[in-house]
Amino acid sequence: MTTAEDRSESLRMIRDSAAGIAPRTSDLKRIRALRFTEPGFDRSVWREMCEMGWLGLLVPEDNGGSGLGVQEFCALTEELGASLIPEPLIAGALAARLLPPDQLAEVLSGERIVLPAWQEKPLSLDLAAGGTVFTNGTVTGKKIFIPMAAGADAFLITVPGGCALVERQAAGVHLDCQTTQDGGNQGTLTLENAPAMFIAGDVSDAFETSIMATSAYLLGAMDRVFGMTMDYLKTREQFGRKIGSFQALQHRSADLKIQVSLARATVNAAAKTQDDSTDPATRKAAVSRAKARASDAASVVTRGCIQLHGGIGYTDAADPGLFLRKMMVLAPAYGSAALHRARFRDLAPAGDED
Amino acid sequence: MAQDLDSLPDDAFRLVVREWVEANYPPDIRNPLKRLHWDECKSWYFLLAEKGWLCPGWPKDYGGMGLSPGKQLIMLDEFERHGCARTIDQGVLMVGPLLIAHGTEEQKAFFLPKVLTGEHVWCQGYSEPNAGSDLASLRTVAERDGDEYVINGQKIWTSMAMDANWIYVLARTDRKAKKQEGIGFFLVPMNMPGITVRPLLTLDLNEEFAETFFDDVRVPASALVGLPNKGWSMAKALLGFERIFVGSPKQSAYALARLRDLAERMGVADDPDFQAVAMRHQQDVDDLTDLYEVYVEQVRQGEVPGPDVSMLKVYQTELYQRITETMLEVAGEHSGMLEPMEGNRALNPAGLFLQSRPSTIYSGTNEIQRNILSKNVLELPG
Ligand SMILES: Cc1cc2nc3c(=O)[nH]c(=O)nc-3n(C[C@H](O)[C@H](O)[C@H](O)COP(=O)(O)OP(=O)(O)OC[C@H]3O[C@@H](n4cnc5c(N)ncnc54)[C@H](O)[C@@H]3O)c2cc1C
Repeated sequence: MTTAEDRSESLRMIRDSAAGIAPRTSDLKRIRALRFTEPGFDRSVWREMCEMGWLGLLVPEDNGGSGLGVQEFCALTEELGASLIPEPLIAGALAARLLPPDQLAEVLSGERIVLPAWQEKPLSLDLAAGGTVFTNGTVTGKKIFIPMAAGADAFLITVPGGCALVERQAAGVHLDCQTTQDGGNQGTLTLENAPAMFIAGDVSDAFETSIMATSAYLLGAMDRVFGMTMDYLKTREQFGRKIGSFQALQHRSADLKIQVSLARATVNAAAKTQDDSTDPATRKAAVSRAKARASDAASVVTRGCIQLHGGIGYTDAADPGLFLRKMMVLAPAYGSAALHRARFRDLAPAGDED
Repeated sequence: MAQDLDSLPDDAFRLVVREWVEANYPPDIRNPLKRLHWDECKSWYFLLAEKGWLCPGWPKDYGGMGLSPGKQLIMLDEFERHGCARTIDQGVLMVGPLLIAHGTEEQKAFFLPKVLTGEHVWCQGYSEPNAGSDLASLRTVAERDGDEYVINGQKIWTSMAMDANWIYVLARTDRKAKKQEGIGFFLVPMNMPGITVRPLLTLDLNEEFAETFFDDVRVPASALVGLPNKGWSMAKALLGFERIFVGSPKQSAYALARLRDLAERMGVADDPDFQAVAMRHQQDVDDLTDLYEVYVEQVRQGEVPGPDVSMLKVYQTELYQRITETMLEVAGEHSGMLEPMEGNRALNPAGLFLQSRPSTIYSGTNEIQRNILSKNVLELPG
């Protein structure tokens, strides 16, 4: 059991290390340049991230990882969100947690990129909806909305009872990538008797962490664009005054700040619950509350920041738009706010009712 | 032809418009995904011109239809209902009415026919980098030099400047006068030496507006409309109709129809949660329509709506945005995709969400509209 002091020290170290690749002050030039390219991210940056130990942050030390907790991973992805990092670390880390030790070395070093493919229907959290099955050493079915699929060397397909590892180039694998609003891509994977390796195990715990990490990424993104917008309100002048002096904008800003703070408090509390609680329902309920808040707050905050910028907010050249478009992709990813509210309703301890 | 139309009862008039639009509107540009450029929308412009329906509000003597404002709104209504594209309409909506009210005989004779034929395509050069909400602080100058004016400065957010061949510009003619009083209104060809247009990409990744630079652009004194210090008041007087135009419930009604298509496709149309949300949007649209009718009636009676018409703009644009936000919820992961679902233009949640964003910014931001309402309508102190 780590003490509270150890924990805050480890979180601080993670944030500091993130600043090397994802500094909060970055000008987002790299992010702009990668938009609408294939595969939408940079493999050399991916390798750097792996060298920092980020991909295996949650992988036990015995298996070559760092054995850290959900709080550390969320601290990291929050920083990634603040810089809109396109490398699919959340997805990659999910796969890394599910792969057997003998498959891990190449993946943790960044040589080989394995991305998870779990979803079969829109607006669903069902990891094995039944449409994709493993039989006789092959996998057949269809998976959709696979983040940054264009950059994968292999896919980890969720199937009943575990996962199936499939090479991208294998026979029977057909990948179709669609461009997303943030300039990345999502894949639709059609599998027809594709040769695969079965990996038994429960995916759900690692999956919950991905939902948490996505909430933290959204938190980092909304916090950064909100900060940028406050800076703008302190510099832009109209009617001979800083526009931040208009009470209408002050109240709007205060409302957005409340959203960012709610999201931060909820995400941090939920991440702590993941590290401290062993009760699955309690853990999942906390995850759902965090993702619902993060998705909704990110939408309110990014929209509000466009409005506070006026005309320049409606240009592609201005940065707030990058955050809005990222929100459009990630608010529904790993479950939309409505979906998580519904799951929370089903999971919440009875005592919460009154 | 036009005489007959104006004397028709409203319902019969509506039917005439509807039938003609349904029979003649180019199907390939119905419900376009983005604001169309001149090359894409000119077929519709020419069709209207040929029919004599391009300028419903202009008097017949100038080639317009001389329609009552009420009937103009009916036409607009029918065009929107059918999903007709917006043309590049600044000549029709702004330059024409301005010249008819304030232009010289020479200006009217030169410019009006060229709007009617589509030879002149106009854009609006009001906003500047440092003069948006506070437009009256604009700094582009027009200096008198003999029988010419020399224009220097920069405009921004000039919609369709890359397509237009003429621009109307507000520029300062007297640097010593009070903010609003030293501004003139100029008509300038875009091919003048010294004009540079730099297109800007919108959030929706469309080249829809531009920066327009003026570097020692020399125009004859006849480029000025009205008096050199009356540009501001003339420009303000043009805004009345625009406020009603942006308050039309049709934009929200269109988005609601698309929301229903989307719900159908996503399999939630019969879901009670969805129905409750859709019903709330529907009632908002219906109630807005009733409020809109109040103003249409005023216009029909020949009254000029007061500052309270800003209510329409605020409510309409924010309702439009709310409906597109519901679309994102219903579309789930599809709302992160760049292209419409299944290549179907009716299933374009992300696109509509993005396109609805600037509606609370252009035509006077909603914050400015609320200032007008609280100051000029509610007469609150401060
Ligand atoms: C899609 C689009 C098309 C456009 N087309 C044209 C065109 O063709 N020609 C043209 O000339 N212009 C055009 N515009 C410009 C538009 O008129 C301006 O964007 C608008 O007037 C706002 O000015 P701004 O962008 O400078 O924002 P700012 O005025 O800087 O506003 C920034 C923020 O401050 C707020 N604010 C400012 N003053 C106050 C106040 N007193 N009280 C409270 N809040 C305040 C605003 O509401 C906004 O939220 C277009 C804009 C858009 C988005």
